[in-house]
Amino acid sequence: MFPTPIQQRSRASQFSYQVFLPIALILWLLPLIAVMIFSIKPDGDFVKGNFWGLPSSFEFFNNYGRVFFASDMPQYLLNSVFITVPTVIGAVALSSMTGFALGVYKFRGNLLIFFMFIAGNFVPFQILMVPVRDLTVNLNLYDTKLGLILFHIAFQTGFCTLFMRNFIRALPYSLIEAARVEGVAEWKIFVYVVLPLMKPAIAALSVLIFTFIWNDYFWAIVLTQGPDAQPVTAGITAFNSQYRAAYHMMSAGSIVAAIPPVFMFFLMQKHFIAGLTLGAVK
Amino acid sequence: MSGVTLNHVIKKFGETQVIHGVDLDIKDGELCVFVGPSGCGKSTLLRMIAGLEQTSAGTITIGDRDVTTADPADRGVAMVFQSYALYPHMTVAENMGFGLKMNGVPRDVVREKVLEAAKILKLEDYLDRRPKALSGGQRQRVAIGRAIVRGPEVFLFDEPLSNLDAALRVQTRIEIARLHERLGTTMIYVTHDQVEAMTLADKIVVLRGGNIEQIGAPIDLYENPRNMFVAEFIGSPSMNFFNASDLSEAGQTLLKPGSDVFGVRPEHFNVVDQADAILSARPDFVENLGEYALIYCKTDAGSEFIVKSTELQKFAKGELVHLGADADKTYCFDGTTQLRV
Repeated sequence: MFPTPIQQRSRASQFSYQVFLPIALILWLLPLIAVMIFSIKPDGDFVKGNFWGLPSSFEFFNNYGRVFFASDMPQYLLNSVFITVPTVIGAVALSSMTGFALGVYKFRGNLLIFFMFIAGNFVPFQILMVPVRDLTVNLNLYDTKLGLILFHIAFQTGFCTLFMRNFIRALPYSLIEAARVEGVAEWKIFVYVVLPLMKPAIAALSVLIFTFIWNDYFWAIVLTQGPDAQPVTAGITAFNSQYRAAYHMMSAGSIVAAIPPVFMFFLMQKHFIAGLTLGAVK
Repeated sequence: MSGVTLNHVIKKFGETQVIHGVDLDIKDGELCVFVGPSGCGKSTLLRMIAGLEQTSAGTITIGDRDVTTADPADRGVAMVFQSYALYPHMTVAENMGFGLKMNGVPRDVVREKVLEAAKILKLEDYLDRRPKALSGGQRQRVAIGRAIVRGPEVFLFDEPLSNLDAALRVQTRIEIARLHERLGTTMIYVTHDQVEAMTLADKIVVLRGGNIEQIGAPIDLYENPRNMFVAEFIGSPSMNFFNASDLSEAGQTLLKPGSDVFGVRPEHFNVVDQADAILSARPDFVENLGEYALIYCKTDAGSEFIVKSTELQKFAKGELVHLGADADKTYCFDGTTQLRV
């Protein structure tokens, strides 16, 4: 077997493994650990410059209590849910259909349309900032959840279509032909034959898109402004006052905001990994 | 029930023409086998009859309906695919009833027809299983069952046995033959295996390069091949071909005027005296199959050929053996046109 399992290696290499692995792990997690420690410090520590030392007092309940009960965070979290869930449903539903059309039918321009879907992914999204903002303002969708949802669906559908089309391409085409010979209408083939077979792809894609959208910060601050529409990633900065950053509160808020995607990841780990490698080996 | 007629059917993929004007008449209730080497267009022709490939020119008629441009669904055909094409997320019963259900047939009628087909194919015990939980032979039977349930005018089989192991292939072959006898429906069957073709067919169509080489009953093709290709393709092991230089003087008198290739099937050789021999050769290698042996021989002029014989003791490796055959079991061909003389 390659590589040789560490248990069968020399004592020296076992020792270095046992030493360096934890070090690498701690280094890798250092920013996260810092945020965790920040989130239980009192405000005074930051004023006094005690950034990296031990907390002068344990303020876990105080800080997290404020996040949940004395701020707009619950509203922001709810916004995130109302933005992320419709986006996932919309993008997956649309891309199943576009993927089916591009994967199953031969028509002039099929490849061109497919490339246009993919090409969207290569546009650096920052250059879209101003036009998209103008567009949403003109549509009266600026600072609304709907505006953000529509933009996310539009932007994610490109990647999702690539994913779905390739998955459908890998399904045995004779299944579709068999159904056709049996006189099954095309839309019924999609609903009753192809869609059930796409379950793994749909699950994987949903998890991926959920984390993408939940963790989006850029479009949240470009297209929304306040607790009415802003998702939690952008809402965290609401703890800051005009001239001062509330690091301890932002840290606590970040931890809370990170829980849903992390939870989602562990719950759907199998699908998440399947999503990353789907179609890679077959 | 109805026959199938192809009238000068042509298929082009872009600029490449793969089926070159095929004329064919399959009678009602006939089991017709398309056979040929891979790439000969037999599957394409079947898919054109099914409506899965467009027909570039010519007409296809099923019964008295012109179906050349009809949708697959409107042709009254059912197809069994090489890969079975069972829907993996449905049970056996759902697989078999899917087409009917989607076309609005009432639930109890579907149930009844599925049960009937399952009975014919002995699938009653498996109706609630998924295809994954079935063996290859069972899956193939489900695929056939799915075709039966619809009560089609024509059955189309696309190499249905090629994913099965040898024993199961023989068994399923017999089941298909029985099924044909029982249903009496027109069937078109595609295979590259000439044994399947010989055993199943009422009529064999030998295809090569998108053209029909010969049409006929299995025994006709065996006894009266029209050209060297059919002679070689039908029969196992293949017919041996010799040049005039391989033959003895007696042998050369059998060579008809205008022909320069002489053909004898491996099973038609017998060991004779030198005076009666049509050729002499030295055994090189023996495959003993118990019932008979295949003896690989080489003439002194260098031609290699196979003799199928039950008298292995008459062949000693490297020693000259004299071989004869009945004159009516020998074939003469024109080497340039490949046609039989």
